Amino acid sequence: MGPLSREAWAERLGAFRASPSAFMAGADGEDLGRDLLSDLRSEKLSEQTKVSLLALSLEYPAQLWPDVPAAEAAATSLLDILVLLPPRPSALRRPLLLAATTVLASGGVLGPTSGASCRLLPLLLGLATGRDVGRGFGPISEQRPLQATAYECLRELESCKPGLLGGFLGLLRSQLGQEGPIQPLSLLLALALRNTLVVQSRSGPGLKGLLMAGVSSTGSGTWDWTLVEEGHAHLQPQAPCWPAAEEGACGLAMLEPSPEEVRELRASVAQLLDTSYLLTPVAQAQLLWLLGWALRGLRGQPPALFKPQLVRLLGTAQLTLLHAVLALKAAFGEALFTSQDEALLLRRLTVAAQHPALPLPTHLFYLHCLLSFPENWPLGPEGEEAAPLLLGPQLCRGLMPSLLHDPMVLLSRLHLLCLLCAEDEEEEKGHFQNLQWYLEELLAGLRQRAALDGGPRALATLCFQASYLVASCLARQPMVLTPLIQGLAQLYQARPVLAPHFVELLDRVGPELREPLRVVLRQEVVSRPGRDEALRWHLQMLAKVAEGDAQSATLSFLQTAAAHCAHWGLQEALLKVCRALLREGGGAGLADLLQALARQLEDPDGRDHARLYYILLAHLAGPKLGVALGPSLAAPALASSLMAENQGFAAGLIVQEALAPIQLSVGPQRASGPLPVLQLQVEALEPVYSLELRFLVEGQLYAPLEPVHVPCLCPGRPAHPLLLPLRPRQPAPARLEVQALYTTPTGLTCHAHLPPLPVNFADLFLPFPQPPEGAQPGFFEGLWDSCLPKGAESRVWCPLGPQGLETLVSRYLEPFVVMAQPPTSYHIAIRLPPNSMLLLRLEAPQVDGVPVALRTDDWAVLPLVGDYLRGLSVTE
Amino acid sequence: RYPTVEKRAKVFNGASYVPIPEDGPFLKELRLLDDDKDFVERHDCCTHINKTTIYRLSVGGEELWPVVAFLKNGMIYASVPLVEQTLSPHPPLISISGISQGLELLFDIQGFLYSSQKNDTGLNTKLSQLPNLLLQASPFGTLLDANLQNSLDNINFASVSQPQKQPAWKVGTYKGKPQVSISITEKVKSMQYDKRDIEDTWQVVGAVIFKCDLEGIMPNVTISLNLPTNGFPLQDILVHPCVTSLDSAILTSSNIDAVDDSAFSGPYKFPFTPPLESFNLCYYTSQVPVPPILAHIHFYNTGPITQLEYKGSFGQLEKSLLICIIGQKFPKSMEISLSGTITFGAKSHDKQPFDQICIGDTVYVKLHFSILDYTLTGCHVDQHSVQVFAIRKTKTSSHWKLNSKAPAPVTYG
Repeated sequence: MGPLSREAWAERLGAFRASPSAFMAGADGEDLGRDLLSDLRSEKLSEQTKVSLLALSLEYPAQLWPDVPAAEAAATSLLDILVLLPPRPSALRRPLLLAATTVLASGGVLGPTSGASCRLLPLLLGLATGRDVGRGFGPISEQRPLQATAYECLRELESCKPGLLGGFLGLLRSQLGQEGPIQPLSLLLALALRNTLVVQSRSGPGLKGLLMAGVSSTGSGTWDWTLVEEGHAHLQPQAPCWPAAEEGACGLAMLEPSPEEVRELRASVAQLLDTSYLLTPVAQAQLLWLLGWALRGLRGQPPALFKPQLVRLLGTAQLTLLHAVLALKAAFGEALFTSQDEALLLRRLTVAAQHPALPLPTHLFYLHCLLSFPENWPLGPEGEEAAPLLLGPQLCRGLMPSLLHDPMVLLSRLHLLCLLCAEDEEEEKGHFQNLQWYLEELLAGLRQRAALDGGPRALATLCFQASYLVASCLARQPMVLTPLIQGLAQLYQARPVLAPHFVELLDRVGPELREPLRVVLRQEVVSRPGRDEALRWHLQMLAKVAEGDAQSATLSFLQTAAAHCAHWGLQEALLKVCRALLREGGGAGLADLLQALARQLEDPDGRDHARLYYILLAHLAGPKLGVALGPSLAAPALASSLMAENQGFAAGLIVQEALAPIQLSVGPQRASGPLPVLQLQVEALEPVYSLELRFLVEGQLYAPLEPVHVPCLCPGRPAHPLLLPLRPRQPAPARLEVQALYTTPTGLTCHAHLPPLPVNFADLFLPFPQPPEGAQPGFFEGLWDSCLPKGAESRVWCPLGPQGLETLVSRYLEPFVVMAQPPTSYHIAIRLPPNSMLLLRLEAPQVDGVPVALRTDDWAVLPLVGDYLRGLSVTE
Repeated sequence: RYPTVEKRAKVFNGASYVPIPEDGPFLKELRLLDDDKDFVERHDCCTHINKTTIYRLSVGGEELWPVVAFLKNGMIYASVPLVEQTLSPHPPLISISGISQGLELLFDIQGFLYSSQKNDTGLNTKLSQLPNLLLQASPFGTLLDANLQNSLDNINFASVSQPQKQPAWKVGTYKGKPQVSISITEKVKSMQYDKRDIEDTWQVVGAVIFKCDLEGIMPNVTISLNLPTNGFPLQDILVHPCVTSLDSAILTSSNIDAVDDSAFSGPYKFPFTPPLESFNLCYYTSQVPVPPILAHIHFYNTGPITQLEYKGSFGQLEKSLLICIIGQKFPKSMEISLSGTITFGAKSHDKQPFDQICIGDTVYVKLHFSILDYTLTGCHVDQHSVQVFAIRKTKTSSHWKLNSKAPAPVTYG
C-alpha cells in the first residue's frame, strides 16, 4: 500500500484522537503504528503532515507500539529517519528526537541491551555538548535549537532512569561555563545532581570524582550504566519531600560527604544559582525545587547559598516562584528562614492571597498554602490545616470572607475565619466576639440569599456548605452553634423547598449540631397547619427528624396532612414518616393513625402499606420492628427506598435458614413420674434468643411432642437441662427429628435443623409405684403371674463384664428393683408406657454372665429386651 | 498527553495510580459547565466543598487527583500534574510542585488565546498554533517558558549564534532607536453605602506596564515611582521577576498597615532588566480614599417592569436596560439625574438574571467610567530616572452605589 494522502492522514488522525481506544479496536487500529513509521519516510508527504504524525507518536506511543520489541523497532526506525534526513533545514529533527526519546522511555526499552538506546544516548550527548556527531547533522542554523532539544531529551531520560547521567556531571558542569543554551543545561545538571545524591545515599561512589570528571571519560562510545544499576535506580515511589526538613528519611538518607566533596557540590550549586536569573521564571522555580530537594538533609551544606536568590524572589507575583520559595522553606526551615523571614514570607503570602491583580485560582492556591504553611515550629498535628501561629487576626483582616466573593473564595476564607475563631476563643475575648459577630453576619447573609424564592440552587448549596464547614470546625462552641441552628430553622420556615439540603446536612454533621437542629426543625414542621403547598417538603423533613415517641403534635400534623395527601407521591411521603416513627418504636397514637390511613388513603397501594404497618406495629415488639424496618441487612447498598423496604422485610420477617446454633444431647435417665421424660443437655454455639425446639417422632411411635421454649442461651454460660416428656404409643425406641427456631442478636429470625436425637428402649423405663405396706412380698409374684397366658416368657443370658452383677444392677436397674437378695437374686419390675410391663428375675451369677428369666405382657418387646440385656455389658 | 510523565506517575503513585481517561470522558466528569436545577446529592452535597480549583474526578470507580482546572470565557482549562509520591492519603497541595506549574501553564494558555484576539477566527488560529507551541514551551510536560508568545517568536526566530548569557526569557535583541513606554493603569472599585454605620469600601489597584525597546543583551533600567506630597503610600507591591532587587520597605508595605505619616511613601525604586515584550513591571494597591459619587438606584430580582415613565437630564437613555449612556464627557454641573416611576409586574421564576446583592430592598447602581491621564493615587514615574519617550496614564473606575435605605453586604474592616 502506498503512502496515504495528507487528507487521508488528517482524517485518520482525527478519528484516532476522537477516541484512541475505539480507533485501536477498529479494523484500522493495528496498522496505524506501522503505517505511520513507513509514511514518515515517504517523500510525498509534506513536513507539516509528518510533524502531525510525530506529534501523535509523542502522545500515544503505548497505543501505537504496545510492547517492548515494537517500541525498540519504532525507536530504531525514528533514529534511521533522523540520520537520513538531507542536510538542509528541516522542521522534523526536533520532533524526531523528542519522539525517539518518548518511545524509548515510555516503552520501557531504555537500557544497555537496547540498540536504539545505545544509539540515541551518544547522539544526544554529542548534540548537547556541541561535538561533531558526524555526517553533517543538520545545518548550522539548527545547531542551537537542537542543542537545547538534546538537553531536554537527556533530562527526560534522566528523570525516567535516575543516575543515567551521573557519570557526566563533570562534563555538564564544564558546559555551564561555556557558550550554549543555559536553561535546559541548568535544569539537566540540577536534576542529575539531585539524582546522583539520591543514588549516592543508597550506594556510594565518590561524589567528588563524578563532579570533577572531565570530558575525557565520556569520549569513548560506550555508555556508563553503572550508576543506574548500582542505584537500582528504577524509580521508586518517593516518600513525601514535604514537610520534614529534619527527618531526612525521604529517599535521601543522611549523607556525610567529605569536605572536598562539600566544596565541589557547593561550587556547582552556587554556579547554578548565580545564573538562575537567566532562566524563565517557571524554569527558575523548577531549579529551586530540584536543588532544594538535592541539598535537603545533606550535612555540611548550609542553605545560605539560596539567600541571595530569596531577596530577589520574595517580591514577585509569579506563582511558581513563590511556590518554590515555600518549598525551600519547607526543606530547610529555620536554617534558611529566621523567624523574621518567616513573618515576612507569611506577609507576602497574605498579600498575594488577596491581591486584586491576581486571578482567582491563584488566590485560592495561596490560601491553601497559608493553611498548610511550613512553619519553623508548628504547634498543631502534622498534615492538618491550621492557621500559622504568626498569622494573627490582624494579618488576616484582608482575608475575611464576604458575600460578594466567588463561592470557592468564600468557602476557603470562611475556613480560615473558623480556624481563627477556634483558636482565638481562649485568648482575647473581645477579638473573638468581633470575629464571631462577623461570622454570624456572614452566615445570616448566606441564608438570606438562599431563602430567596426562585434563587439559583448554587446559592442554597453554598449556604449549606458554609454551615457544614462552620459546624465541623466550631462544633464545640455553643456561641456559634446556637445562632446557626436558629438561623437554619428560619431558613426552613422561609423556604421549605430546601428540605433535601437539610436532610443531607443532618446526615453529615456531628451530633452537636444534628440533635438540636432536629428538634427545632421538628417543631418548625409540626407547628404548620399541615396543608400548605410545601407539604411534600414538610413530610420529607419529618421523615428525617421525627422522634420515636411520636408526640401528639407530630401525629396531629400527620392526621391533618393525611386529608391533603391527594396524590400518590404525597401519600408515599406520608407513609415514609409513619415508617420512620414505626422504626423508632411507634407510640400510642400511631396505631390509630395507621388504621385511619388504611381506610382513608385513596391509593390502594398506600392503603396496603398503611395496613401492613399497622399489622407490624400490632404484632411485633419494638426491637423486632426496628429490625424489620431498619436498613436492609441483605442489600445495604440499594438506594431505592421501596426495594430497601422489601429487602428489609424479607430479612426481618422471613425466617432465614441457618446452621445449628446449639448442640443437643440426651442426658441421664430420670425414671420417675407417670411418663418417661427425656433429659436434654444444651450447649449454645452462639447467642440465641426466644429459642423454640420442635420434635418430630419418626413413624408415629409416640404421640406428638410439645415444643420446648428457652428464652435465651449464651455460649459458655451453663444452661439447665431441658425436660422432654414422651408419650409413647408403643413401647419402642425411636428417633426424634429436631428443629430450632430462634432469634439472633441482630433480630433476625432463623430456623435450623439439628441432628436427630435417639430415644433408646431404656429411656422409656418407668418404675412401678411402691406397693402398699405389707403387700410387697406378693407384689412381684402377682405381676409375674398376670403376664401369662396373654404375654410371653423367655430366658436370656446376660453377659457380665468384670464389674459383677451388683454394679450392673445399681448402674442400670436400680430404680426398678422390687426385691433384692444380693448378690444372688434380684426381682425387677419395669413399667413400659403406654401400658406394658417387663419383669426380670436375675439369678445367681455364674463366671461370665447371669441367667435372666423374664416375662412381659407384650410379646413384641421380647427382641428389644434381649438386645437390651445383651448390650448392657458392652456399654460399660 | 505526556506518556513519559504518565510512566513515572505509574511508578511514583504505586497502587494509587489512576490513568488519565480519554478527553471525552475526562471533560464530562469534570462538570465545570453543569447547571443543575434540582438537588443532586453528588454536587449539592454540603461536604462537597471545593476550596481550590483543584478537583478530584471519579474515573471508572477510581479517583483521579489532582486535576487543576478552571473555566474562563466559556472554555475549560485543565491539566493533571505529576505527583512524585503515592496519592493515598492525598499529600497537601503545597507539597506538589506540579500544581503551580500546571496553573501557570493554564494561565498562559488562556493569556495567549485571548491576547489581541478579536473574533472567533483569531481564536481558532491561536488554537491551531497551540499544539506546536506546547511542544516548544513544554516538551515532555515540563514547563520551560510560561510565555507562549515568546515560544512562538522563538520558533520563528532562527538565531545563528546566541552569545553567552542570553537569558532564556529573551528571544533576541532589539536593534534601533532606544525607547521606553510606560503606562500606569489604576482600577478603582468602590462600594458606597451612604450610611453612617457602614463604612464605604474601595479598592485601588495599579499596574505599571513597560515596553522597553533597548539595545544590548541585558540593559539595566531603574525607574522610580513617585507620589505627590502627602500622597497615600503604595501597598501590596508585587513585581515582575525581572526586577533584580527590592527595598525592604517596598516588600513589607501591605494593606493591613495603618496609614500614617511614618509609612514609607516613596520614591519606589525598581531596578530591572527588561524582557523584549511589554510586561507588567509591578502591581500595587492603595488606600487613597475614593471621592463619593452620588447616584440613584436600580432594580433586580423583581418582576419585569410593566410601566415606566422617565426623564433623563443628560445623555441618551437606553430604555430596555434603564441605562443612561453619558458619553465622553461629564456635564459641567457634575450631576446627572434620571427620574421615573417604575411599576413591576408579577415575578416569573425562570430564566431571569439573578443578582446576589439585590435581596429585599437592597439595590445598587453600577457605574463604569474611565479617566485618561489621571491616577487617583497621584502615582507617577520620575521621568529623570529613565529615559522616557511616552507616558500614558489611564484610570478606570467602576463604582457600586448602594441603596442606603436597606441592609447591604459589608466586608470586614
